Amino acid sequence: MLRNHWLEVLAVVAVLTYVGVFLATTMMNPTAEFAGSDTRGSQQISQITGIPEEDFHPLIPQWVPPSGEIESALFTLQAAVGGIVLGYVFGSWRAQRRYGVAPAPAHNLDTNV
Amino acid sequence: MHIMEGFLPAIWCVVWWLIALPCLGLGLFQLKRILATDREALALLGVTGAFIFILSSLKLPSVTGSCSHPTGTGLSAISFGPWITAVVAAVVLLFQSLFLAHGGLSTMGANIVSMGIVGPLVGYAIYRALRNTQVNMFLTVFLVCAFADLLTYVTTSLELALAYPAAVGGVASSFVVFMGIFAVTQIPLAIVEGVILALVFKYIVQMKPDILVRLHIFPEEKIVATQRGLADAA
Repeated sequence: MLRNHWLEVLAVVAVLTYVGVFLATTMMNPTAEFAGSDTRGSQQISQITGIPEEDFHPLIPQWVPPSGEIESALFTLQAAVGGIVLGYVFGSWRAQRRYGVAPAPAHNLDTNV
Repeated sequence: MHIMEGFLPAIWCVVWWLIALPCLGLGLFQLKRILATDREALALLGVTGAFIFILSSLKLPSVTGSCSHPTGTGLSAISFGPWITAVVAAVVLLFQSLFLAHGGLSTMGANIVSMGIVGPLVGYAIYRALRNTQVNMFLTVFLVCAFADLLTYVTTSLELALAYPAAVGGVASSFVVFMGIFAVTQIPLAIVEGVILALVFKYIVQMKPDILVRLHIFPEEKIVATQRGLADAA
């Protein structure tokens, strides 16, 4: 079992370690904001140039999600699209392997009416 | 890795777009050709593209006390090379700049270069170097995915350092500062991403080894040997 599933075990260990490191970080650094590194990058630009962040204006006008809720909904949509495609392809591959069938040609459907 | 809209001087926006555009053109050309010759390639493109969509939507916390996205581009780089990967990454980045205000249209060239081109290109180089060696396929996939992720953020740091050299120490000193923000945050995420995508690759080997052989992604004997190993242990 271990020999066949060492990658699964490794993945679980990696994820658990990652969660553990995250919990340790929150405990050792209670003031951590966990803001996006994109935001931290922009703050750093403001610091280097001495120009306040709010004085950086979009070069091309941009729609901004009105709230964090809407933003997270759209992010979820992005992940869901990926998940649907992934499930569809893995599902059809699995079915092909299990039942050993190639997808039926469309004309077979017509002749059997 | 997104450089936010308005945070890159216009001249640099143009430079990175000019680098990105020919790569996208080459990617579209290759994409058309591979889909015309092998319809099954579309399914594999679906899987590798799906991981770019899923992983780049996740903002994960890191040891530095900030959050960052994995990129998910490694599998695509192995399967289809860096140019087609750039096209898929561009689709995600377009969605994120239009609907999420993560990155913008002016900075998209720079973001395509980091996430879609340099990261996958480095990953692809690692893959080509290890493809025909004795190195385990899953270790190869792990290294490719982890480095494609990490190098994306190294590139972002370099792009920002070039545009914003520090008053003292110039580009080099800015680069170190941005590396601290982007690349260090990314290290744990890159490792986890590498392990997860290596596992995904195992499932592709188990379920659809013929597509890997047909597209010459790994040598046939390597795939057969790995498959037999998995079957023997069961």
